[in-house]
Formats: sequence, structure tokens, C-alpha cells
Amino acid sequence: MFGPKTFYKKSVGSKVFDWFNFIFMIVFAFIMIYPFWNQLVVSFNEGVDTMYGNLYFWPRKFTFENYQYVFKRQNLLKGAVISVLRCVVATSTSLFCTGLLAYVTSIRYFVGRKFMRLVFIITMYFSGGLIPTYLLYTGLGLMETFTVYWLPGLFGAYNMLLIGSYIQGLPDSLPESARIDGASEMKIYFKIIIPLCKPVFAALAVMVAVGHWNSWFDVLLYNSSGKWDTLQVYLRKILLQAEQAAKLQAEQKMYEAMKNLTTTSIRAATTMVVSLPILFVYPFFQKYFVGGITIGAVKG
Amino acid sequence: MNKSEQSKTLITKKKKTFKDLLKSFRVQKELWIICLIALVWVVVFCYIPMLGNWIAFFSYTPGKTMADSTFVGLKYFKRFFSLPDVWRILRNTLAISTLNLTIGFAVPIAFALLLNELRNGFFKRFIQTISYMPHFVSWVVVASLMFTLLGSDGIINEGLIKIGLLKEAVPFLNKAGLFWGILTSANIWKGMGWSAIIYISAIAGVDGELYDAGSVDGLGRFGKVWHITLPGIANTIILLFILGIGNILSAGFEQQLLLGNTMTQETYEVIDTYVYRYGVQMGNYSFATAVGLMKSVFGFGLVLLANKLSKKFTDMQLF
Repeated sequence: MFGPKTFYKKSVGSKVFDWFNFIFMIVFAFIMIYPFWNQLVVSFNEGVDTMYGNLYFWPRKFTFENYQYVFKRQNLLKGAVISVLRCVVATSTSLFCTGLLAYVTSIRYFVGRKFMRLVFIITMYFSGGLIPTYLLYTGLGLMETFTVYWLPGLFGAYNMLLIGSYIQGLPDSLPESARIDGASEMKIYFKIIIPLCKPVFAALAVMVAVGHWNSWFDVLLYNSSGKWDTLQVYLRKILLQAEQAAKLQAEQKMYEAMKNLTTTSIRAATTMVVSLPILFVYPFFQKYFVGGITIGAVKG
Repeated sequence: MNKSEQSKTLITKKKKTFKDLLKSFRVQKELWIICLIALVWVVVFCYIPMLGNWIAFFSYTPGKTMADSTFVGLKYFKRFFSLPDVWRILRNTLAISTLNLTIGFAVPIAFALLLNELRNGFFKRFIQTISYMPHFVSWVVVASLMFTLLGSDGIINEGLIKIGLLKEAVPFLNKAGLFWGILTSANIWKGMGWSAIIYISAIAGVDGELYDAGSVDGLGRFGKVWHITLPGIANTIILLFILGIGNILSAGFEQQLLLGNTMTQETYEVIDTYVYRYGVQMGNYSFATAVGLMKSVFGFGLVLLANKLSKKFTDMQLF
């Protein structure tokens, strides 16, 4: 990556700029991190004490109470299980099927190749819209099922193009020699393509999984009964309750199970539970998703 | 293409005939079976919803087919424009999009340029990693963080009272007049680091020799950014801006649904949330579909227009 060349003399102006830039970046990092830190502090502070304010960088009355309360809630644990299950099932099925399609449409002599690509590329530019999709899922009986989390995302045109361009970069001779030895296409996909495509699969897996972990609107649309609530939707319900509670103090008191808890502190603890898994994981997968976005840029 | 490939399979160099296609169903049976599964899926989940837009032209109630429903033509389209809501919604959509496409567009570029000026590689990577942290959490989490920060007993109110700018706590998220500003700030905070990635990689692609030549010609630091880096990434900037114009009718909806409330409805409601409210929540399926369809059609027109502009100005096109 290009860094500023050191050819030019370091003028006073340049040095001053460097310092300003450095300070600016520190402030910037603070702005990015502080909202999370603030939430973390609130989540570890006694709820009633938080209401007195002046709580900035460190909990004043440290407590695990908020987390204890949050983890006792059945809905949170259930939501966590469903979220994880959704990520695993949806990501693996989607990558497997989209990868298979990408492989099939990158076989040069396959007659249906161009047609299949076209059929999928069209879906990148046109979509049915919210209401027709909603009515279709109702008609198909996908409402209030776990299936609605993974089946509509089974194939994806954009990911098909990404994996496809990666496969086309591989030497033809490998699948070709296997084919001559009489291997079936599925076998070639399993034994040759998937192992060779690990980098692109890993990059996309991170993207797809994060998308599913963070998704909440489709849960609201298709699983409104609460039977398959994910963590995000659970947190959203707490947000809404907090909103009402701000207006109705009396109700807020009834909602409280322990005297030191407030909706704010419960919400803070839940927010941390929902976001910490991602915040811990994402720095380690950086190179994958940055790679993913650059492949996308070259392709697009 | 090598010999063995040709001998075992169909030769594609010749013009394909119907007979070849029939033969391929036999020879390439396995591939066609895989495609058949994909085709069934794509028809059901992508093409049927596209056709499902017919209900915008019919008086539809759930469970009815097209034959049972009465054709009403453009009734729902006309109704949308006769409602007093329409101008408010269009205003909100365009205002929020414009804010995103101006301030929200410039900030990542400025950030990428400043980041590029950092000399310490480790610090640079650290800042970049921090910068896209918010991209990875959901809007629900961001909304929760904002409730805490902006609430009546939140840290922003406290700080503003302390330095004397406010006399008493203001419930920022309940003020309709502040909503666009808050939403744009949230959009920038969440997305800027991520959007900057594309500019950072474009900057990395600028030929290093140009900078050396610039030094020889006596360009200072600012001069290099202005005369070398910016022209070097101009095509990327223009392309992304034009893409943004194509998406101007999509002003986001998750943020609005989460951060908005009845007190800010005046300024938060955009086309997408309107469709959701009227269609899913109130069950006016035909009307909501008509509004959504109108948005898609205009949106597609804008994409085509943007593509033309892109071809004219940058020689690049999207399709």
C-alpha cells in the first residue's frame, strides 16, 4: 500500500499537518469507540445509580446484576440459539448452492452456461418488491417457519459472479483430468473446486454470516409471532419497551424485576450481548472481507 | 480448449443448433439437473414476486387470484398522488438521500485521503480497523447506542448542560426537526469506514512514480493530493456518485423504523417505510404494491440515466 513518500523536505507546515492529522485520528477513533464503551460502562453499573448521570469512562457502582438478569431471561438464550443456528444453516446452504451454480456456469463447454448466468444476473437489477414477496411467502407457507431464514437466500447472483470469477482463475486442467478419469460433476465440485476455492468461500462466509446475524427486518416481517425470534429482534423489543417506559414511569416500575435495575441498564447489557460476538470476531476476519470488497470492485 | 475436452464434450465454437441443445440434455445431464434446481428456485423466489406486482392494478384481497379480482387500472397510483402524505414522503426521501449523497458521500473520501497521509503503518491499520467497527453491528444495536447517548439522561444532554449550551435536557430523538441531522450522523458514523475501503484501495492503485515526478516538479504535500491522488481516484468517485444517484429513492428504512417514533413521523417517513406501514401493517396490499412499483420503475429509470451519465463522463458503465 502506498504511503506518503519521504522525498520532499519535511517543512514546518507538513509537520504541523502531521500532528493535526494524528490528533484528528485519535479523536476519530474515540468517536467510533466511545458509544460502545459508554454502553459497556452502563451495562456494568447499577441501574438506579446510572440515572444520576456523570457516568463517563468507568462504572461507579460495579455490578453483574444487569447481565445476571439478562441471562436469566429464557427469550435471550432462545434468541441466541436461533441466531447461531440461522447463521450456520443459512451461510452453509447458501455458499454450497451458490458455489455449485458458480461452478456449473463456469464450465466453458456447458451449453446452458450463458442462459443460466443471464437468468440470475437479471435478478440483480429487478426484484419483486416488499409486498409481492410478502404475499408469496404467505402463500408458500413460509410464515412463522425457520425455513424463511435460509431458503430465500439459497442462491445469490452477486456471489455467483464472485465465486465464478475465482473459479475461472483456476487452472482448467484439474477438473478436466478428473472428468477424463470419469468423476461426476458433483464429485469434482466436492473434491476439487471447494478445496481450491477456500479463500473466496471464507470471505463470503464472513459477509453472509454477519448479514444473517444482524438481520432483523425479515424476522419482523415473516416471523412476527415471536416463535423464531433472533437476538436482534429480542433487543429491538427491549428498545420499544424502553421507549414506552420513558413515557410511562409507572409501567416501568412494574416491568422491573429487581429494584436496582432500570430499562436502560437492561438494554445496555442486552446490546453488549448482541454485539460483542461480532466485535470480537471482525478484526480477525479483516483480510477476508477487505479481499471480498476488492474482488467486488474489480468485478463491478 | 484442449483435444480431450473437445472429444469428450460438445464443441462450442460452432454455432449452436437446437440439435446440439437436445444432445446436451443427454450428454450434460448432470449439469442440467443442477441447473433445473437453481431454475426452480429462481423462478419461485425472484421471478414470481416480479409478476406478483399485478395486484397493483387490481383490487386485491388475500387468497384471491387474478381472475377473481377486479381490474382497477391506475386507481391506486392516482390515489397515492391525491393523498396529502405524498409530498411529505417524497420530501423526506429526497432530503435524506441528498444528505447521504453529499455529506455522507464526501466524508469517506476525506477520511481515506487523511488516512493515506498517516506515516505510521501500525497506527494506520489500527485506525482503519476501528473505522469499520460500526459497520459490523446491526442497526438495532446502533439504535440502542443512540438511545443511550441521546436520551434525556444521556451523555450528550449532560455535556451540553454542563457547558451551558442547554438549560434542560432535550429528548433529541423526539424532535422532528432534528431527525434528518441525527439520521445522517448515524449513517456516517456507521458507514464511513466501510465506504472508505474502496477509496483506500483506489489510492493504493495510483502509480507511485507520479508522486516522485511530482516531488521533482516541486509539488508540496497538499499539491500532490490535489494534483495526483484526487485525479487518480476521480473515476472511482464519479462512478460511486452516479450509482448513488441511481439509488436516490432508497433512503434506507431500517434506521428510520428503529430511530423514528410517532413524534418524528413528520420527518422520518420515507417511501420504503410507507410501503411497509400501509402494506404489511395495515393490509392495503394493492395500494402499497402500487407505491413500491412506482418507486422501482422510477428507480430503474434513474439507474439507466446514471449509467448513461457514467458512460459520458468516465467511459465506464455499470452494464
